[in-house]
Amino acid sequence: MRAAALLLVVLAWPAQAAWEWSAPLTVNSVQGAAIYPHIESANRQGVAVSGDTVGVVWEDNRDGSPQCYLAMKPAAAAAFQPEIRLSRADCFEPVVLALGDGRFVAAWEEAGTVHARVLPGGPALQLTKAEAAQVTLAMRGDALYAAWAEQAGRFRRIVVARLALKADALGVKAAHPVEARAPSDEQGWPALAVAGDGSVSVAWEDRRSRHTVPMVSHSRDGERFAPPVRLTDIKSGSAPGGLGAGTGAMRPTLAAWGAKGVAAVWLDKRDFLSGYDVFAAFDAGARRFGKNVRVQDNFGDNMAQWHALVVGDGGGRLVALWDDARDGTPDVWLSDWDGEAFGDDVAVPAAHGPGAQSDPVATLDAAGFLHVVWLDRDETTGTRVRYARASPR
Amino acid sequence: MKLIKMLLAAGCMWAGAVLADPPKGYPFVSYDAGLKAAHASGKPIFLYFGRYGCAWCDHTNKKTFSDAALKKLYTQNYELVYVDAESGKRLTLPSGERITEAELGVRLQAFATPLFVYLTPQGDKIVQIPGFKTVQDFRDYDRYVRGGHYKQKTLLEFLGSKS
Repeated sequence: MRAAALLLVVLAWPAQAAWEWSAPLTVNSVQGAAIYPHIESANRQGVAVSGDTVGVVWEDNRDGSPQCYLAMKPAAAAAFQPEIRLSRADCFEPVVLALGDGRFVAAWEEAGTVHARVLPGGPALQLTKAEAAQVTLAMRGDALYAAWAEQAGRFRRIVVARLALKADALGVKAAHPVEARAPSDEQGWPALAVAGDGSVSVAWEDRRSRHTVPMVSHSRDGERFAPPVRLTDIKSGSAPGGLGAGTGAMRPTLAAWGAKGVAAVWLDKRDFLSGYDVFAAFDAGARRFGKNVRVQDNFGDNMAQWHALVVGDGGGRLVALWDDARDGTPDVWLSDWDGEAFGDDVAVPAAHGPGAQSDPVATLDAAGFLHVVWLDRDETTGTRVRYARASPR
Repeated sequence: MKLIKMLLAAGCMWAGAVLADPPKGYPFVSYDAGLKAAHASGKPIFLYFGRYGCAWCDHTNKKTFSDAALKKLYTQNYELVYVDAESGKRLTLPSGERITEAELGVRLQAFATPLFVYLTPQGDKIVQIPGFKTVQDFRDYDRYVRGGHYKQKTLLEFLGSKS
């Protein structure tokens, strides 16, 4: 009996073996009960590491309207520097990308169009004249890309742009919709990845099948994209009686991974009685995603997962993160890909336990460190944007 | 002939576009508009949290919300709000926080759609009920909400004691 109880305790204990974590830091310098930071963005791209500097972006309403901010921290510093405000008008869903040597590109939605800026120091550039939102960035070598959802008639469609970068100034070299024809229903939340061979993959949410389906397209040159295909390996279709159009899936994320690969992770409601689950698919380099794989383990199966993302590196390391409330309150979880399957779900120690810890964003740096940022909600004192770094054991 | 084909195609697209949207003929509005209307009218809010293409939403619309008397009851006595479970459209919570419609699902810990949420005119949650429900179920929930029984009893207690 005692042995069985001990076994249950061991099984229920969140595994924390693969990573060794630093003490967490608070990123946002201003908090309050009525200040609401958000780190949601297309491809969940809220943290980047450039040289030895960590950059974190988010949106909050401390100034009376939603504005976007960037905070930076040199690796050796004990705390984040005071944040820089990126926007002037209502701002949402900022993303950040490392340029190297402590420089970053941030992009965001402001006053209904998308903008980008090199930091520190560069001027802001409006990327679109048309109404647009949900911008994301990707880069390999000197090829810098942005993607966003742009209004095209009644619906939004996905546009991919090659950006020019000269010193601290950005420009748009060329911008093309992934599909030339007008969208027949809503498209949004693009995710971009530039694989090791330089090819560009873009995934997004698409409603052309009368329910939300993550779709993906590839381009060898970043300009001409292949006809899109589904990321999900289940078909659309009505339930018996001609009801509905298919199960839901949303917020695809992509990461370049290994020599030529791209990994995708998204929220998927194919098991519609347990909320969204985290699913993944892999493209080893053929520019074709394969069979879908469920990411979270059985302890998270009967539970809704939220805010999923994937991060990877050229060495083949791949990590999926999300939040769920399996232990009673929202916590941040991660799972490492071992080459054949996702491993046991591991709690991020400082983002686990009493209170609500959610909305992870993450990146893997060149040295193999995993950097994770999340929201730690407290209705009385206000929400903190928190950061921790993990080194592989 | 080409024109007929185009019209048929457009008709099919439109039929698709309305699938699993709010039930036909009900004056559902956005979250922000519904909250504003409720402040002005003092009526409670009936929030339909649905998903585009959701079979059970479609089933509920066809089986339950097609009832003319139920339509009259809810249209006259509630501010009707529709929220799309996967939408990036923004709304403002009574606290002043701006989130997406999808994020509202996180806050409601929505497991499945449809999810029906009754709110006070100030936007405070009274009760939330997931899944397919019958006309009689919605009549019972209406008595629970507008009768003020939620102030003394849980919904289960109320349903257990109803005559």
